[in-house]
Amino acid sequence: MEDKDIIALWRFYDDSLKQALVLNTKNAEEITKLKVQSFLASMKPIKVFTLIIGILWVGFIDMLLVNLYHVASPFFLISMGVQVLLTKLAIGVYVYQLVLLHGTDVSEPILATQERIARLISSTLWITRLLFLQFPVWTTFYLSMGMLKGSNWWQLVITLGITGVFTWIGVWFFVNIKYENRDKRWFQLIFRGREWTPVMKSRELLGQISEYRDER
Amino acid sequence: MTRDAPAFLAVIEANKGIIYKVANFYCRNADNRKDLVQEIMVQLWLSFNKYDEKYSITTWMYRIALNVSISFYRKENRRDTINHPMPGEILILYEADTGSPQAEVELLYRCIRELKEIDRAVILLYLEGSAQQEIAEILGLSLTNVSTKVSRIKQQLKTAFSNLTT
Repeated sequence: MEDKDIIALWRFYDDSLKQALVLNTKNAEEITKLKVQSFLASMKPIKVFTLIIGILWVGFIDMLLVNLYHVASPFFLISMGVQVLLTKLAIGVYVYQLVLLHGTDVSEPILATQERIARLISSTLWITRLLFLQFPVWTTFYLSMGMLKGSNWWQLVITLGITGVFTWIGVWFFVNIKYENRDKRWFQLIFRGREWTPVMKSRELLGQISEYRDER
Repeated sequence: MTRDAPAFLAVIEANKGIIYKVANFYCRNADNRKDLVQEIMVQLWLSFNKYDEKYSITTWMYRIALNVSISFYRKENRRDTINHPMPGEILILYEADTGSPQAEVELLYRCIRELKEIDRAVILLYLEGSAQQEIAEILGLSLTNVSTKVSRIKQQLKTAFSNLTT
């Protein structure tokens, strides 16, 4: 089949569609009366809510760190310092997402708009990576020099072992959670489920957009 | 342009085929397609007062319909944030005995749905007879880039279609 045949087939179809397609005016009119927000705007409230909670948490921990600086154990200060730093990075990702949301307009050209939406959705992977990186601090924040000095060697081995395992897990996931590993079994186990499908598809689309821009 | 419902409905009536065809390009499941048509209508209505007259109304409609459809295919959870239930079917296709080669059209759709999402947008605009300038404006590409892509995708579609029909 030649080009002209495909175009002729399409025109034929288009003409028949013009006769057969009917707009249900009543239902269409209903759309203009609905109090709806755009699908992009509908993503804002949960992000703003999470951002507020994150800022409150960071403020609370920062206040604790400042006020307890001279009395708290160094384990607490370092662990919570690391935790609060990672939370601040996650807050940065949320701010980035809100900026992208704010600047996205579906009446703009396809490539630019899709790139923004895909970047917005795929940045969620960063939040998961930061979440894993926090793992070890939850095994150290309650420790103190007194506790360690009063422990047997096997208690020390267990404590250090648990922290070591959590550190290894946290760093391993932080390094390995990336789109390139999407076909690995462990990745599919973590990211299975409906809520992750758009994230994966967004990464796929980013690849397409970049191929599009590179193609000459 | 203000958000004037009668003017909006007149625009939709005149260009309803765009919504139907774009939705059909990105959604093979009939129920999801109805949702997609509603979603496109909602976005068109929400953007209606921002319509920039330096572009044609069809450019504006294609941009929104394509952007919504490409984003929609990623969403597993359909619209769940609306404050009201959505109205029923907006576009109804009556089976007309027009002698249209329906089987061939179905095959063409099958080949098109095998293309990547953005390639689908390019081929739709090409089949619709849009000028390269308009395709460039809708996609946000340069004219030379559009021409390269149109020839590549056309070739791809021709091969796929020939394989299916022979």
